[in-house]
This record gives sequence, C-alpha cells and structure tokens, in this order.
Amino acid sequence: MEEKHSIVEDREPILVVSGLHKRYNEGKSNEVHAIRGLDLSVQKGDMMAIMGPSGCGKTTLLNMIGHLDRLSEGKIIIDKIDTGQLSDGQMTAFRRDRIGFIFQLFNLFPFLSAVENVETPLLLKGMKAGVAREQAKMLLRELGMGDRLYHLPLELSGGQQQRVAVARALITEPAIILGDEPTGDLDSTTSADVMNLFRRINKISRQTLVLVTHNRWIAEQCDYIVHMTDGKVSHVEQGPFKGEEDSK
Amino acid sequence: MGLKSSFMIATRSLLRRKTKNLSAILAITLGVTLLVGIQITTATLENAFLTSLLQREGEVDLQLTNSTGGYLSSADAETIVALVPEALGIMPELSMQVPMMLGSQFDDSVELAGIFLNYSDAFGSFYDWKTEDKLDLNSLLSSNTSVLLSSSQAEKLGITKEMSLPAMVTTEFTNVTGTVVEPPTLPLSDWTVEPSFTSVEYVLNSSSTNLTLELAQSPFPGFVPSIVALYTMNISKLSLSDFDYINVTATGTSNIQVLLQFSLDDGSNFNITSLEDTSLPVDLDILNEAFDLAPYSNGTLRGDAFLAVMSSDGMPASIEISEIAFETSKPVISYSSEIEKTELQVVGIFNSKRPGIGSMYRGAIIRLEYLQQWISLQDRQKIADRINAYLVALKTDHFISEISEDYLQEQIDLIEAAIPEKIDLNTGETRKIYYVESARLTFFGIAEIIITLLSTMLTALGLLITITGVLLITNVQLMNVEDREFQTGVMRAVGENRRGIALSILIENAFQGIVGGIFGLVGGLAFGQAVAVYLVSLFGTGEFSVQPIVSQQVVVLSVVTGVALGIITGILPALRASRVNIVEALRGIKVTFEEKSGRNLALLGILFIVFSIFVLLINGVIDESYEAIWLTDGWNTLEEWRNILIGAGLLFSGIGLVLSRFISRTKALNFTAITIWAAPVFLFVIAMGEWIPDISGLAPDILMISVAEIMVGSVLFVSVSLPPLMRALRRFLVKIRGLKGVGQIAPALISSHKTRSTLTFAIFAVVLTLNVTVATLVPTNLSSIIETEQDSKGIDLIISLSKPEANITGLSYIEELYKIDNHITDVIGFKTYRSTNPLDLSGYVALEDPRSSNFSAQNDLLPLGYGELTSGQIRGNATNSFDKDWRYDFYLSSFPDGIYQPSADEVTDEQLNEMSKQAWDLFFAPSYRMAAYNVSLPELLSDEREASDFDFSSFSGYDGYELEGVSVLRDENGSIIENPVVFTDSFLLPLGMQVWIPMNTSESGFPVYQAFTIAGRLDSQRAGGFPLSPFNLFGGEESNFIDALGKLYLNEYWANQTNFLAEANGATATARAPNQFNQFLIKTTYFMDDPQIQQIAQAIEDFTNTNDQGYRSLAEDNFYVASTTVLYSMIEQSLEMIQRVVSFLQIYVTFGLTIGAVGMAVISVRNVSERKREIGMMRAIGFPRSQVMLSVLLELVVLGIIGLAIGVANGLLISLGFANMQGATLVIPWNDLGVYLGFITLIAIGAGAIPGWFASRIPPAESLRYVG
Repeated sequence: MEEKHSIVEDREPILVVSGLHKRYNEGKSNEVHAIRGLDLSVQKGDMMAIMGPSGCGKTTLLNMIGHLDRLSEGKIIIDKIDTGQLSDGQMTAFRRDRIGFIFQLFNLFPFLSAVENVETPLLLKGMKAGVAREQAKMLLRELGMGDRLYHLPLELSGGQQQRVAVARALITEPAIILGDEPTGDLDSTTSADVMNLFRRINKISRQTLVLVTHNRWIAEQCDYIVHMTDGKVSHVEQGPFKGEEDSK
Repeated sequence: MGLKSSFMIATRSLLRRKTKNLSAILAITLGVTLLVGIQITTATLENAFLTSLLQREGEVDLQLTNSTGGYLSSADAETIVALVPEALGIMPELSMQVPMMLGSQFDDSVELAGIFLNYSDAFGSFYDWKTEDKLDLNSLLSSNTSVLLSSSQAEKLGITKEMSLPAMVTTEFTNVTGTVVEPPTLPLSDWTVEPSFTSVEYVLNSSSTNLTLELAQSPFPGFVPSIVALYTMNISKLSLSDFDYINVTATGTSNIQVLLQFSLDDGSNFNITSLEDTSLPVDLDILNEAFDLAPYSNGTLRGDAFLAVMSSDGMPASIEISEIAFETSKPVISYSSEIEKTELQVVGIFNSKRPGIGSMYRGAIIRLEYLQQWISLQDRQKIADRINAYLVALKTDHFISEISEDYLQEQIDLIEAAIPEKIDLNTGETRKIYYVESARLTFFGIAEIIITLLSTMLTALGLLITITGVLLITNVQLMNVEDREFQTGVMRAVGENRRGIALSILIENAFQGIVGGIFGLVGGLAFGQAVAVYLVSLFGTGEFSVQPIVSQQVVVLSVVTGVALGIITGILPALRASRVNIVEALRGIKVTFEEKSGRNLALLGILFIVFSIFVLLINGVIDESYEAIWLTDGWNTLEEWRNILIGAGLLFSGIGLVLSRFISRTKALNFTAITIWAAPVFLFVIAMGEWIPDISGLAPDILMISVAEIMVGSVLFVSVSLPPLMRALRRFLVKIRGLKGVGQIAPALISSHKTRSTLTFAIFAVVLTLNVTVATLVPTNLSSIIETEQDSKGIDLIISLSKPEANITGLSYIEELYKIDNHITDVIGFKTYRSTNPLDLSGYVALEDPRSSNFSAQNDLLPLGYGELTSGQIRGNATNSFDKDWRYDFYLSSFPDGIYQPSADEVTDEQLNEMSKQAWDLFFAPSYRMAAYNVSLPELLSDEREASDFDFSSFSGYDGYELEGVSVLRDENGSIIENPVVFTDSFLLPLGMQVWIPMNTSESGFPVYQAFTIAGRLDSQRAGGFPLSPFNLFGGEESNFIDALGKLYLNEYWANQTNFLAEANGATATARAPNQFNQFLIKTTYFMDDPQIQQIAQAIEDFTNTNDQGYRSLAEDNFYVASTTVLYSMIEQSLEMIQRVVSFLQIYVTFGLTIGAVGMAVISVRNVSERKREIGMMRAIGFPRSQVMLSVLLELVVLGIIGLAIGVANGLLISLGFANMQGATLVIPWNDLGVYLGFITLIAIGAGAIPGWFASRIPPAESLRYVG
C-alpha cells in the first residue's frame, strides 16, 4: 500500500516483511491494533535501527520477525523462507539456526555460566558437547570475555552480560540478529562499548543486525534508521556514518 | 508502617496470588489431615477395643468370690450387701459349661448361666433378638428345661432369627449317684480242706450263701476232739479301717468249736476269738457275737483265711455258717458319675450384641434355681445352694458413660479393707473370706497397654509421615518468599521495615493455616472414618462396632496445628525475607551461601560436642546400669544404643559445625551427613544381627531416632552433593542426541534451587523409606513353602476331637482315620487337656509352692492346659538323637541346660534340629532333672507394666533364649533345686522357671502337687508353630483366653501320674485310658499345599460329625465333633494377619505418597509459573516445545528418583535390621520397588506434564515479559 523502503538494490534482501498486522486480544473489546500493515525489507549485511515513540509497535515487530509472537496478518520472509508457512517445530529450528536474539534484560539463563549460556544453542543443534564448549569459549574470548567464562550472569556486570548475550546470538552464525533495546539497561559508556561490538560484528562478519531503540545516538550508529509511528513505518533515513564507513 | 500496612499487604497478596495461596493451603491441609486422621484412628481404635472388651461385662463393675476358690451360698448375700453400700445392684452368678446339640449342629462347650430372676434393674434387661422387645424372663424361664439362647450362640449353632421357637436342644449333665455299699461278706464257697490238719471223716457242702460241715464220729469218741481244717485264698483285700466289726452267723451242734483266722498283708494274723483268750477256738455263741476290728484298723487283709471246726468230744457234730460279714456303723457309699443326655427347650433368643446385661451372656441362660439343681446333680452332697460370685453394679448405663477408673479403684480398696477375715484351715493363716476383683478395671489396664503400644507405633509412623507434610509446607512457604524477593525489595525501598515484612508474611501464613486447618479437619475426619471402616474390614468380627471418635480437642487441635504449621514453617522464610538486601533483591541477585561458617556456628558445634559427650557418658558412667561405650558389652543392648545414637548424632553434627569454620562447608556437611547416617546403619546391619542378643522390646523411640538419623544423614548428604551429582547428570545427558538442550538446563535448575530440590526429594525419601520397610515385612516373613514343608516335618493336617475318643475295646480313632484315605501315611495321637470348670484346681498351674506360706491363690495360680508327649509320638522308633529315624522331630526354641551353645553366632537350621533332638532325649529320659532358676513371669502380668516391657519376640520363632545372668535356685540347705522337666508352648512361662502341677486330686479335694522346671519351649513360628499349641492370638474364631495362654507338656511317666491325662487315682470324670487321644497329627503323601489335603480333612469331618453314622455310630455317641485344620491354611492365616497389619500400615504410608505426589504437583506448577521467563528464553533461542516440557519433567523425575534411591536404600537397611532381629533372611520386594519406581515416574510426569504443556504453549514474547 505504501512505497517500499528498499534501500540498497544491489544486494539480496535477507528479511522481507509485507502487509504485517498484529492485533492483541483479537475480537475482544480491548483489542489493540499494534501493527497496521507494515512493509520492510533488510538486505544482507545491513545494520538497521528501528526507532519510534513508546507503544509504536517496535518490539512487537521484532517479536514477530523472530516468531516469538504470532502475527495476525501478513508475510515475513527470512533468508528466502516464508516463515509463516513453517510449523512451530520447524520455526523453532529455524529460529535456533537462523535468528539470534539480544534483549534489553539480556535474558541469560541465570543458573548457567557464561560459557554454558553461549553453548546451549549449539547443543540444541545437536553438536557434540566438547566441540560446542570450545566454540563458545573461543567466541567469548573473541568478545573479551575470556576471563569470565565460568561466571554466572548475576556475577557479571550489565555490559558483560550483554556480551554473553551477543555471543549466544552469534554462536549459531544466524542469518539475522534481532536486538530489542540491547543497550536499554546499560549506562552510556557501556552502551557505546556494546554498540562498537555490534558494528564490529556487522563489518567483520557481514552480520545482518536489526536493533530496536529509542535512543537517537544508538540509532545513528546504524546504517539505516527506520522510523515507526502507530504500527507503521513512517520513514527511513540513512545513518550518518554509513557513507563514512563504506568509504573506508 | 505498622500492623495495618502489614495486614493490608497480606490481604492483597492473599487475594492476588490465588494459585500460590492455594498450594500453601493445600500443603497445610494435608499435614493437618494426617495429624487429625491419626488422632481419630487412635481414639477410634481405643474406643472400639475397650467397648469390645467391656461389652462382656455388661453393667458389672466388680465381683466378689470365695477367696479360697470354692462356692459361695445365698447366706453370703447379706454380708456382701453390707460390704458394698454404694451398690446399685447386686446379683448372684453361677454358670457351667455344657455341650449342646441342635439337630446336627453341635457345640461342645456352651456357657449355661443361671439368672437370678429378681435381679436389680441396674443390670439392664434382656431383649429379643428378632423383635428387640424386652423379654419377660419370669414367664419364659418357667421350667427347669427352659433356656434362653444368646444370639451369638444361636449364630454358632446356625440358627437364624426366622427359626420357630421353642426348639429342642440336647445337652448333657453329669449325675453323681451314691449307693450304700453292702458290707462285703466272705465267700462261703471255694473253701478247701487242708488234709494235714484234718483228723476225721467229714461232709462239706459249700455254696455262695451257705457252708455246712458235718464231722463224723471220731474213732475215739468221748476223749479226743476231732478237727476239720479249711482254708480259702479268695478273700478281697479289704482295708480294715473301713470296718468296725465282723459278724458271723452260724448254727450247729453244741459240741462245735471254731477257730477263724484272717491273715494280714504284713504277715500277721488274728483270730475270731473270745476276748479272754485270743488263741483258742470259741463256741458258737461267741462266734456269733460281733468281733471288734478296732485293734486291727491299720491292717489290710492279705486275701486268705483259715477255718478250723472241732467237735469237742469227738462225737458227730455239724456247723452251718450262713454269713461272715464285715460291718461298719457308718454306711459306705459308692459314687458313680453318669452322663445323662437331657433335652432343653430354647424358649427364646436374646440379643447378646446389645450393650447391657445380654452382652454378658454369650451362651444360654436358665433360671438360677434350676441351674443350681442341675449342678447339684454332680455334687455328692447334692447341695443346691451354690453361687460362684456376686456381681456388683456401681452405676448404670456404662455404655453411655463409662465409670471412672479412680472411683472404681477407690471402691475396691474400700471393700477390700472391709471384708471380714477367717483362719485358713490349710495354712493356719488368716485371710479375707472374699476376694474382690473388677474385670472392668483389668480391661481398662489391658486396653491402655495395647492402645499405648498401638498409638506409639501409629504416632511414630504418623510423625515420620507428618515430616513429609512439614517438608512440603516449608517448601511451599520458601517458594513464596523466594518468589517475592523482588517485591519485598520494593517494599523495603518504599519504607516498610523488617518487622513489617515479617509480620505481613506471618499474617498471610496464619490465614493459610486457619483455612488449611479447617480443611485438614474435614480431610482428617474423612481419613479417620475411612481408616476406621478399613479396620473393621480387616479385623472386624462383627461385634466390633467401630464409630469414629472425634474428641473436642481434635477440632481445636487441627486448627491450632494448622496455624502453628503455617506460622512455624513461615518463620524461617519470613525472617529470610525481612533480611533481604534491598539492592540485591531489586537486581534479582539470589542470596548465596558463604563458603565457610562464622564463629557463632563453630561455637554451637562445640556446644553440641560437649553435650554429646555427656550423653555418651550416661552409659556406664552417669547411669551404671548400662555398660560403658568403650566396652564391647556397651554395644549389646538396645537401651545402650539409644544413648549411642543420640550421642553420635550430636557429636557428628558438632564436629561438622566446627569443621565448617575451617574447611569448606560442603566437606564439613558431608562429614556430618555420612557419619550421622552410618550410626543407625551400623545398628541395623551389624549390631542387630550379631551383637545384640536380646532384641525384645524394640522401643518406638529407638526406632524413631535411628530412622530419623538415617533420613537426615542421607538427605543431607545428597543435598550437599547435589551440584557434583547434577554435573555428572549433565555430562551424561549432553551426550545424548535430543537431550542435549534438556541436559544443559534441567540439572542446572535442580542444583541452582538446592533447598527446594532437597525438600522435594526429601519428601519422597522419607515416604519411600517407610514404604519399602513396610513392603519388606511380608516377604521377609514368608519363607519358601519348601522350607516350611521341611520344618513341618511332614505334618499336613491337625484334628481335634471335642472330647477324648471313645474308650471301647477294638475301636481306635487312629485306625478309623487310616481307613478314610489311603494317602494318610502316619497318624500321631496326642492327649491334651484343659479344665472347663473354673473351680477345678487341676486347671491351674501354681507358680509358687502351694504348701508354702508365700502361696496366694489369687496371684500364684495360672490357668493353663496340659498335654502328654510320649517318646513314640516324637521319636517313633528312634531311640536317641543320633538315630536318624525320628517320627516327628519338632523344633524347640529354648533348650534345657547345657544344650544351647551361646558361642554359636548364628544357629543354622540343622544345628537347631540337632539341639532340639537332644532336648527331646532329655525330656524322655525318666531320670533327667533340671535345676530351677530365679526367673519369673514376664512383666506383662505385673502391675507396673508398661508398653515398652511388652516382649514381642516371645511371640515368634527362634529367640535363642538362654539362661544367662540368672541364678540357680537353692533350697534352705544350699543345694540346687532340681525338678523333673516339662516343655511348654506358652509365651508366658520363661525357661528355667519352677512350676507346680496338680497331678491328681486327693480325698480332701486339695490336689497333690509336683514341682517341675520349664526346660524347653516349642517353636511357635516354624511351619506355623507347634501344631497343638494356640497358633495365633488373634486367629481362631473362638480363641479362648486359656487356650491362648498355652499348655505344659509332660512326658509319659508324669502324664500317667495325673488324673486328667491318665488314671493315676482310678477312674474320674477326666481320667483317660492310655490310648484315649483327642488330638491327631496326620502325615500324607501329598505336599503340604496340595488341595487334596483339604479333601481328606473334609472326609474326616464327614466321618466324625454325622449323626448316627461313622464315628458317632461306632462310639454310640452323637456328641463327637472333629475339627480339622490344614497346616498350610494355618500358615497362610498367620501370614494373612501380617498382611493385614501391613496393609493397615500401608494406609499411612500411602497417604505419605499422596503428600509426595501433591508436593510434586505443587512444586511443578510453581516451578513452571515462576520460570515463565526462562521458558520464554528457551523458546527464543530455539528450544522446541517438546524439550521445554521434557526439561520440566526431567527435573521432577530426577528429584523423584533421587528420593526413591534414598528411600529404597534406607528402607532396605532398616528392613535388614528387622530381618536380623527375627533371624530371617531379608527378601527384597522387587515387585514393590518396581511399582514405586513406576509410581514416582508417573507422578513426576503427571505433575509436570500439564503445567509444562501450558508453559510450552505460551508465546515466548509473552513469557519473556513475566517478572514474577
């Protein structure tokens, strides 16, 4: 219904959202129409921020992309797969292998150590425990967490926890990483730290990232900024550093 | 913020957190249900038991009897009325046991009681069985053959309410008739002429009535007297003390002179002479005078007499003797007892199950005067005015409100003091003329013992199970607080103080407690009712009316307990909550354990150690009746173990606490856990098997302490070791495809919530320990059938005749039995005897020498039965223990001096058999004597009895009893008292005790006593026990008190000295011919569980119990009844009893399992609801639904299985202790263990599946929003 916000045409889109609707309490008197026909497309290797005021449907959109919540109407295609067609089991496997999640509250298993948190998705894929442990350790070391491998989440600072969460999202080499206010619970220094990490991942391993934020500074670290109001994309802008970095 | 805000917060959280409150209330409800249920069960049992005991007493509070054991008469009534001024009613009592036959139904011993028709209303009335109308005894009991039957007796005789009355029953009365014995006369025939003393021709004519002798003229008439001498050898051997004089009636010619001489058995003789000259012949005049026998009253005739007849002048002479008679001035009366069949008329049937006077009579009643007449028939003097006792009622309506025990005792004391005294002619001592006793008071005592015993067991078991309830409640409360740490942090942040937080939680808990208490009361009522109903179905005899008894205290107790449970279990969590660090709580940081303890804990540990040393020093130092712990003897009684266990528990806890200051807490706790667990395990596995010889009186408290220590130790150990255990589980699971994710999550969850996990598996550990212990009881008691067959020595069938077999030449019951079935290979006949007449002294064994002044008829007479064991019955053709060919080498469990070798650790069956055979050899050796020992009856019969004195082991099996530590009795000269020996199957009489058995009754009516030593006890367990003994206290339908007490067995020699097993003093009513048996053991070719044996039993019953056919026709007596018992059914029966008890216990442990199941469900629901967020994360990173659910299930299954493992291990260890105690082999109940494993898994899956399924369905986005 509205123009497509395709940014760069020379790369294939890794995520295509079209005609997405989400209604909470559908059919009831307190029905809330959170997403009202949203279209979005993300190219592989993009780092995209979704901005907007509270209640505009940012988190809902993200949850639906990751199929953490059911969509009411529309289509979501990730890595050329129409995820709406997948059964719950298939979707779970797809989520495990192709989607990485990073949350504002980190959502690490409090009873598992850092390395255990990170290796869990690999174990779910059926990888041998020893191999999974090695990979998780390697990744955590890469992310500067080499001396905190066996700490429980509560024994780590917020930034450290988020690094573990990032590691957990990265470990399966997903097609796309979805971040819901990943720095929302962190102070500005740590936030910058984490954003640098995201940028590094994005640039080095060409990892696609979609971050929801209401922080202008965070959004500006991204390639593109999608603005949402009332459950729709209002406009898309290019990040201030996009060109700059491309030229590097 | 104060109370108001606490209250407000409590109200809010009660309203908002419905599921959580429900789970807390549910937990408290279950705990209270259990407590109330136990309380009600115990109260109900006590009531039912006491009622069933007291029912037979009707309204009778006490009775007065003759203190010397004889009858009272109507003359005593006046004295007795004066003695009991507070009596509401006094009535005379008299009864006898008679056989009764109705149609072909026969009961060989029915109590026929005489009713005094003008008895006081205080005793109540008789009511008709069918119509429930009051019966008018005056019109019904009009003739001396009119009787009223009790409903219990009617049922026994197969009479229904519909039977038309009157009905005829046949009974027997003994009629003793005395006939005046005609004085004996010397036979007048059978005289022989002695030629050497005969000088003249003669003519002798003798007949039975007449002797004539004519002397011919002598060759030298006028000068020399002629003589004819006669003698006879056929005079009866009369005792001259019975006669006063000899009368001779003779006529003849005047020249006749006679010499009549009698020989005495001492070789002397006397002549019938003139008083002047005792050696010369006498004239007929003198001969015809009465000859005084007084000088010869000590003599007995030898059997020969001499008669010389002379003609003084040698002229022909003649004499005619018509009588030579022994006379007495007092008539000699000969008594003969004759059993007369009498027809009685049943004119009505009264209800004997209705409380009141009817319940006192379980047989039949007849008018007192008529019973006195019937009883006087068997009395030589025909005295009709005889009364057994006077019954006294001090209050009415005992069944509505029972008389006060104290008042009753007080009355007895008063009466006892007032009873007049008289001098006892036998001992010369003064004694009270009456003896006052109260069966009611005795029953109160008995009921108290049994109830104390039962309720101690139930309470012990109940407490252990209640622990599970408390664990559950604590668990739920702890979860509540953990759950709310965040909220508590907020509360504290906005200014609520610690007290307020604690208060609000306590208010909440109190509310939950009240609601839980009320629900628990309802649940407890239902539980109690169900148990009571179940009890009736298990033990009920129909007369056992079981009404759940709910005392008012129980109602209060339940609510108070509920609140107390709520608050007490809430205090710890509340304190924990109030101590919450605000910042940490808000951040969600869980309070973690410090690695090492502080100083305070270490100090507490030192305190524990000091106290433990004190407890351990009690043994041997503070209390010297125990052996000290450092001596080997200090470990061989259970009493000593009580202190050892408590001491060990304290010591190891103390050491653990101190250690935790220096080494890591985990290691310190592990030390404590293992050592606390090991102490009772040591007791069960090693001490009970080998060191502790006497395991009688295993007090519940020792059992409780050891079980508690085993549980605490094992649970603590597993709890402390949970993290490494779970790491191992994880390592195992992550190797399994499909379980890798679950393996990553579930074990970590378990060890991260250590307290919660521990409480959960602890519930199962406790319950399953009990379950496994109970489950092993039956199989461990059931040895294999083959073993039993071997122990039974081939006996398959036991037959008891209602009275000794008929003494008819050519008729032997044994021979008749062989004819019935050719599979019968051996029949062993036995003589046993039990007096049915309470006034017959032969029914009592004296426990004190009856001739000594210490003897008291009230305290020293024990009613017992007797039996004869002959060498032929036991040894058959074998001559001694070395001979292999024994007929029936039955086992003993205690042995005569010198046979038992205490050095033998474990006695094997072969050794036991060998020892038994040696014991039998001694028993049959005529000259064997055994020393008497200073032992007395078990405490059971004494006044200062307590439940813990009750010796269970004496009821069963091989107890290895030996005479160690008791001294030999010596007489006043210092020599050891040795007696002939008897064996017994009575559980009362200890080995080595001296008893006096009344052998036969002398003319004076006082028995002739013989002292014996109890030299052996027949095994009461092997193959169902000695088959002639009362097998089982609860068993038989009409188990008689005296039967239950058992018998004494005499060998053939001594049995023959009695009047009840033989004819020592001539024929009496109870005397027996050598082969007049009444019990028979039968061996067949069949294996003991072969159903064919039942067929043989039936054939024997048919042969004996059919009127005018078979044995009844052969013996010409329809009053024979054979009752047969198949040995195998007896064993089955006693097993069934164990099974009943076990299934009763199982109600409790099953309830414990229910608590476990509910606990698991609650924990599962709570786990899932508070972990919504984690579940969301799991789903977000790619856990499939199935694995989410699997991880929920796995957690519960793992906890359940840990509980199961602990429970099974501990349960088997405890059972091993029990098995060691009984000398049995522990049989592991694999089936039950399988069932438990299945059950636990099922519960875990059931409890986890529903919440798990729901949780896995919630969209992850939603669950991620959950913050608790």
